[in-house]
Amino acid sequence: MRRISKVAAVGLIAAVALTGCGEKHAGSSASGAPSDVCTGLKPSSPVKLAIAFDVGGRGDHSFNDSAYAGAENAVSKLGASCIEAQATQGESDAQREDRLKQLAEQGPNAIVGVGYLYSKAVNVVAPQYPKINFLVVDGYDPDKTVNKNVAYDAFQPQESSFLAGVAAALTTKSKIVGFIGAVPGATIGPFQAGYTAGVHAIAPSIKVESQYIVPSGDKGYADPADAKTIAQKMLDDGADVIFHAAGQSGAGLFEAVAAAGKGKWAIGVDSDQYTQVPADQRSHILTSALKRVDTGVFDFAQSVKQGKPQTGYVAYDLKNSGVGLSYSGGFLDKDKSRIMQYQKKIEDGQIKVPTDPSKVK
Amino acid sequence: MSTPTLERTRTAIGRRFLGLSPLTWVLILGGLTVVPFVRLVTDSAPLTATTTFTAAILSTCPIALAALGGVWSERAGVVNIGLEGQMLLGTWGAAYFNWYYGPWVGLAGGIALGMVGGLLHAIATITFGVDQIVSGVAINIIASGAVEFLSRAFFSRIPTNGGPRNLTGLFTLPTVRIPGLDDALSTLNGRHWFLVSDLAGFLEAFVADISVVSLLVIVLFVLSWWLLRRTTFGLRLRSCGESPAAAESLGVDVRRYKYVGVLVSGGLAGLGGAYLSTVATSTFNVGQTNGDGYIGLAAMIFGNWNPFGALGASALFGYADSLQLRSPVSLHALLLLLAIGLAALTAWRLWQRRFRAAITNGVIGVAFLLWFLFTNSIPSDLGGMTPYLVTLLVLSVASQSLRMPAADGQPYRKGSAG
Repeated sequence: MRRISKVAAVGLIAAVALTGCGEKHAGSSASGAPSDVCTGLKPSSPVKLAIAFDVGGRGDHSFNDSAYAGAENAVSKLGASCIEAQATQGESDAQREDRLKQLAEQGPNAIVGVGYLYSKAVNVVAPQYPKINFLVVDGYDPDKTVNKNVAYDAFQPQESSFLAGVAAALTTKSKIVGFIGAVPGATIGPFQAGYTAGVHAIAPSIKVESQYIVPSGDKGYADPADAKTIAQKMLDDGADVIFHAAGQSGAGLFEAVAAAGKGKWAIGVDSDQYTQVPADQRSHILTSALKRVDTGVFDFAQSVKQGKPQTGYVAYDLKNSGVGLSYSGGFLDKDKSRIMQYQKKIEDGQIKVPTDPSKVK
Repeated sequence: MSTPTLERTRTAIGRRFLGLSPLTWVLILGGLTVVPFVRLVTDSAPLTATTTFTAAILSTCPIALAALGGVWSERAGVVNIGLEGQMLLGTWGAAYFNWYYGPWVGLAGGIALGMVGGLLHAIATITFGVDQIVSGVAINIIASGAVEFLSRAFFSRIPTNGGPRNLTGLFTLPTVRIPGLDDALSTLNGRHWFLVSDLAGFLEAFVADISVVSLLVIVLFVLSWWLLRRTTFGLRLRSCGESPAAAESLGVDVRRYKYVGVLVSGGLAGLGGAYLSTVATSTFNVGQTNGDGYIGLAAMIFGNWNPFGALGASALFGYADSLQLRSPVSLHALLLLLAIGLAALTAWRLWQRRFRAAITNGVIGVAFLLWFLFTNSIPSDLGGMTPYLVTLLVLSVASQSLRMPAADGQPYRKGSAG
């Protein structure tokens, strides 16, 4: 044992010595955190909003944060008040129903379920509370009985992805671009289809290399290491613009692109990721394909305030700015006019953007 | 079946080298020659390209560290299902200490947090005699909740880079490049010569921009093997896993050695987690291990509770994983590889006169050969499963002589020696 103690002592000293020589993130201590707006319902406010978040919850830099931003807007611009509830991983529909009921008992007049997973639970709970209006972001009506007090936000991400494809095609020099998706299926498929169609609208000769992180399951949304490996392979193959639709895994793509140096680009998704990445990666974020969940939540709150609550499917596309492209960083300034031409054509219906990647060549 | 004595004599031929049986060495050397052959026949260069090996090292290391952790713990007689949870704690610890104190302290932080998980497991199982599986599962559940809570508490207020569930832009650790040698090897790899180019591709991955942590992992394996196999300390630790009563009767402090084994185990798993969040990427997110701890546990079993066996099994998985990520097309070539491997195994079983095993292996081998000949690609749905399938298949046929430590998983109370 004496020898072990010696080894342990040396290890300890080494650890202490190492502590001294580390770098530090200057001025990055906890500060400037936004204060919470969802603190309780006020009887006087015109919109009493309750938000049930999806798995991932607030702070996911994407979907849920965007919904929260919508609530913030509603509070500051409409005088709304709000409450919130978080989800946990691997929940059943019964648990979601309980959460919605608990929120409903606190007396809101508008309840938002963030994510399509709430569709079934809302379908059960909504008829029991006819005076409350419901919104399911990305939702669908699971049966044929129409719920008069439920609205479903139907985003059209293929349209913003098409524009991202146009931007990629106008930017690429190697004539090879990439797409990284989380999992194949109805959620991510439209991103791939729209992007590919957009690239080929500029030049059919440009090669689009597409790959999904996993064939099934939700690991693909939280695996930056695998996303980085795939991105590196695409860069090795000569790709110089890569678009991702893979949630938090996207961080791996940004790292790979930033490490590859100047002239290599990544395209973000859902929110403006230029503002979310570390400073040294910012010069590589060409643009982001936006999905304005915040607009959806705000519009819903506004419609409730005006006494004409949204109901049924509400489309969010380029036309009503529900989806779009970000121009942060000014990397697309010289191409913006051409991108706007395509945006106009989609808005006018001249271009029908496909949603099924298997039907895009 | 009819001649068990003959079987025993024939499998027992030869001496173990580095703790691996001759059969394992035959498989390894066979693989070394078969892979280049398959690469030539199927014309799929990615099979032995440097970039594939570089990616393979990145996906192997976390699994291998978890597997090595498993070896340490189970050699001391404690089953550590909690590896996954200790890795998870490591991902967070590494991120936190990396962010505030720099990359090296980050690694130490990952190890420390993993050791906290190990300590919890040690106290529960060794001091209080809790069932080791139950304690391990509990640690996995506690760790996933704790990591969620800790990142919400510490990362959500860091502007831009942070969030309640992630932290990006961590400091990177240095990489090593041996100038001259890597260019020479790269040229060789590009020539596509049989065996030579393939070996060059493999070696280049170790001299061109390899992370120092990856090299540290190799050192840790050699060190662990030496400590466990060649020192008095190792002998005593292993005796606690084989027969704690006998060890205690000879004056070994069983509980102390078990504590050491489990703590080292937790530390190694924690380093595996740190590798994921600060070496393979510079990004932490909640639930980053995605089951790597469990795969490490399986690799340890397939590796016959031996450090180098565990490393080999992890490397096999890492290789298949990197191939699947980097070059799904060349997965098809793996089918031929499997067919050849199974054919060799069939011959071996025939020589051993184990006819039933020979027939089973032969039939599976022919099936793979037919699959290879009559298709041009592997369906993409199967692609993601390839690492698991390959590992399972190769190791299930190679693992018929596994032996776990005799007292593994049994609680030990002081004074049982009587």
